Amino acid sequence: MTTVHTRTTTRVFHPLTWWLWAALLCSTLLFANNRFISIAVITSTLLVAFTLKRSSPWSRTFDWALRFAFIAFSIRMLIALLIGVPMPGRTLFVLPQITLPELFVGIRVGGPVTTQRLLSGFDEAILLVSLILLFATANALSNPHSLLRILPRRFYGIGLASVISSSVAPQAASGIERVRKARRLRGQKSSGLRSWRGIALPVLEDSLERSIDLAASLESRGYGYFPNPTRYRPELWKMKDTLAISGAAYSLVLITITSSTGLLIPLLVSLFALTPVFVS
Amino acid sequence: MITFSNVSLIYPNSERTIIENASFSVTEGEFVLLMGHTGAGKSSVLRLINGLVPHHTGGILSGEISVAGRSTRLMKPGELADVVGIVGQNPMNGFVSDLVEDEIAFGLETLGVPSDVMRKRVEEVLDLLALVQLRRRQISELSGGEQQRVAIAAALVTNPKVLLLDEPTSALDPIAAEEVLSILHRLVHDLGLTVIVAEHRLERVIQFVDRIILVHGDGTLELGSTTEILHTSPIAPPLVELAKSLKLPSIPVSIREFRKMAPHIENVIDEYESPTVNKSLNPILAMKNVFASYRDAERTYALSEINLEVYPGEIVALMGRNGAGKTTLLKSAVGQAPIIQGEIDIAGRNPASLTDQELITYVGYVPQEPSDLLYGHSVKEECDFADRDNSVPEGTTLNLYSNLMKIPDINAHPRDISEGQRLGLALSIILSASPKLVILDEPTRGLDYEAKKVLVANLKRIAHEQNRSVFISTHDVELVADVADRVIFLADGEVIANGTTRQVLTASPAFAPQVAKALPHTHWLTVAEVERQIHESR
Repeated sequence: MTTVHTRTTTRVFHPLTWWLWAALLCSTLLFANNRFISIAVITSTLLVAFTLKRSSPWSRTFDWALRFAFIAFSIRMLIALLIGVPMPGRTLFVLPQITLPELFVGIRVGGPVTTQRLLSGFDEAILLVSLILLFATANALSNPHSLLRILPRRFYGIGLASVISSSVAPQAASGIERVRKARRLRGQKSSGLRSWRGIALPVLEDSLERSIDLAASLESRGYGYFPNPTRYRPELWKMKDTLAISGAAYSLVLITITSSTGLLIPLLVSLFALTPVFVS
Repeated sequence: MITFSNVSLIYPNSERTIIENASFSVTEGEFVLLMGHTGAGKSSVLRLINGLVPHHTGGILSGEISVAGRSTRLMKPGELADVVGIVGQNPMNGFVSDLVEDEIAFGLETLGVPSDVMRKRVEEVLDLLALVQLRRRQISELSGGEQQRVAIAAALVTNPKVLLLDEPTSALDPIAAEEVLSILHRLVHDLGLTVIVAEHRLERVIQFVDRIILVHGDGTLELGSTTEILHTSPIAPPLVELAKSLKLPSIPVSIREFRKMAPHIENVIDEYESPTVNKSLNPILAMKNVFASYRDAERTYALSEINLEVYPGEIVALMGRNGAGKTTLLKSAVGQAPIIQGEIDIAGRNPASLTDQELITYVGYVPQEPSDLLYGHSVKEECDFADRDNSVPEGTTLNLYSNLMKIPDINAHPRDISEGQRLGLALSIILSASPKLVILDEPTRGLDYEAKKVLVANLKRIAHEQNRSVFISTHDVELVADVADRVIFLADGEVIANGTTRQVLTASPAFAPQVAKALPHTHWLTVAEVERQIHESR
């Protein structure tokens, strides 16, 4: 019998790599709280996602995350435009103002829109978008199931919960397509509120059912019950895993030590965040 | 090996006891079939054996179940993992890895088997289930039969004493089903494994099993030898019905047994009236030289050079192995699978140019999962939505539904009604747009014989009385024999046979119904035909 230790299929990174990469970049973003850094991270995330994601069921979530990010951005900008506390800055234009009762002192709806107000809204919106995209990239590039295999089995409950929650999104994404197509066969338009309810319900039920099946399968195969699990073929932490996350780690360090506001820093962060593409 | 003593089971919020005071035992090395109507509680019995019921699903259990000397009351399913292996109804949902090999190794990893032993076990199981060629493949790319085999391998790898399978062949074509069942048969004989299978398609399994547990649905179970149970059971495969109508002295469980005891029947008739389809009419569906590809990257054709017609008033069955392109073909007829070449006409128009609203008045499509169509909170609401969508008078859909079958409580949630009722609901929603062509993709999955009879009667009425066409894809040979006027056979994306049901089904032994196999020289397909013939010759 020949012993086969290597994987012939392309497992590019360790299952944890992407989550660590995303966590480090999230910290970078929150520390920096700077729109240029946010834009830099969004650009690299998009590049990473589109160059590395394959046509696997879990990578389809990314397209949905993009839509979600766009909606989040629009809503935040709309709020920035309409509601807010008076802020200084150059007034761009004035919206008709609604007078609120005494109770909401300091808050107004409508009124003058200043550059300051728009910019602070934009900063928050863009931060939101970058966080969503980071999470989506990690989700799209790592297989939830292989994550399950490397988590310590002692934390049975956590492992199970994390797998179920991380596999719901991909399942829902593929479910939506299927149900949408089926729904059209009932002669319904696939837009509008009622149709969304019609799609969401079966998709959620379906995802839930799958997750319950998965949990039952894990349970009946003894997952988490036996003290010393072994590995058939270990998921090795390779040099390129270290390289991939060290890029993200550098950007975090860079942000914490420097107070420079030039464009060099975002450029560097963007490059560091891209390391997985260079090493893969 | 397995002992049930005074076992009763009730689910919370349920008024019905699933099992009441059941006692039986199964010895080592037995192959046992669990049969019963949909919803009778077959899956519950199966899951009781490895403790998923009640530990995973909830429910109140009384009495004692012991498996290999361990009580399932005291031990959780995980703790029984080394003695019981289970393969669920949808194995795809239970897979935890991408690669075949990793999936199979998973059970050993959790049990903490040392890696050198693990390699050997994985190797053995790969050999046993003929998966060696597929070891590095992605599970999601495998066919249904291959996935089923992977799931069995993954359950067997830990060397359990008991293997439980829930409808292992319902998604498989006859050849793949035969493969899976003969592997199970071999495991029972070679390894002394105890196998318990829940299955609706009795014609596929009864020849392999030693004993049958009949789940009556009122809480009682009946365990007996295959012939005993089939003699009295209300559900029986065509072979048994044939034996009963020929008044044979005992019940045969295999074609071979039947042939030994059956009287010699002459080829009574040579000419059969071929179904009266008026081909001078314009076809409802016409495909001319249609090609479709799986993915753009790989230039493999899901369909190639398809030429076919479906005429008004006929029922056409589309058959072929898993992955032959049946679903793609059906979907392309409603414009949901892009074609790269060729022409598709629906009543003379291109389906891609029609709006959804227009399309459904020509073609009604019931997908593989009828519940994809449903989203209301109750049966009534579903019907109301359909009335509104198709702008037909209120109550039309509900009326259609009650013409199809005895309808469930109209306030029941569509999830809670039986598979057959759900299919009927989806079908009546589709019919409310009064399409000229009704397409059904694999409608009999999970249907019991009774629900299938209802479906057959309905499809015949839709086609022959209302003069619509029915185009149906299925693995179910017996259904085809009962219902279809014509069969189109696909292999690897190409039409390899297109003729009357009798021609096509009697031409290939693998896709022949039981009656045709049992009486090979008569060209009969169904028990009803045999009965009619006997009746006439008297």
